[in-house]
Amino acid sequence: MLSNIIEAPLRLLGEYDIKCVIVGGVAAAIHGSTMLTNDLDVCYSREAPNLQKLATALQSVHARLRNVPEHLRFILDAETLKRGLNFTFVTDIGDLDLLGEVRGVGNYEDVLADSLTVELFGYHFSVIDIGKLIAAKRAAGRPKDLIALPELEAIQEAQALKNQTQS
Amino acid sequence: MATELESYFLNPPAGSAAARAAEFGTDLTLTLENLRLTPEERIRKLDSFIEGVAKLKASVRVIGPTEPNAKQHH
Repeated sequence: MLSNIIEAPLRLLGEYDIKCVIVGGVAAAIHGSTMLTNDLDVCYSREAPNLQKLATALQSVHARLRNVPEHLRFILDAETLKRGLNFTFVTDIGDLDLLGEVRGVGNYEDVLADSLTVELFGYHFSVIDIGKLIAAKRAAGRPKDLIALPELEAIQEAQALKNQTQS
Repeated sequence: MATELESYFLNPPAGSAAARAAEFGTDLTLTLENLRLTPEERIRKLDSFIEGVAKLKASVRVIGPTEPNAKQHH
């Protein structure tokens, strides 16, 4: 049984210095949400050096596409990442979803803008702004996204009140 | 500020997002508990919970329907 299936992929991204922003359920958890998730979603920079580092990092944990038959040939390299956009991987250390774009928000640069920097396990990570996370979940529109909204909106309002008090 | 945060989640002001979340069914005491943790602690808690659920699933053995007068063995 795998353990630390969120922490381990985060450490991998930190170790390989991948330019990315944490989005999805893990971002919600970092903002304080109690909703559960069991994979890590990140929106990644599509600059060539980042794709190369990302391919090397993914190779090190034997990443393969999730729910794709084993016999289908998949070459995990920077060129493949460049040709695609969004990938869902299963790896030796946990599931990892790479998003070139986040619906309702945009690409890496759009997601990175206004993001929050947090330290996790000795590495600095960018986490999507809570307002953008709410927009992304609303745009995704799946029941599991929509049920997360009331709590996220409460956290957002609490953060705004806290900022008002401090300023 | 801690008390203002507590007050916001435990006694949500009318018309607030917290009031709507409570009405929706969100247990805001759990949210408040999470907000007292650091981001890293929140990830560790999530990982620990996922692992706990996986262990629970792996250990479950369905015996069958519960008899009304059956004694439960722990």
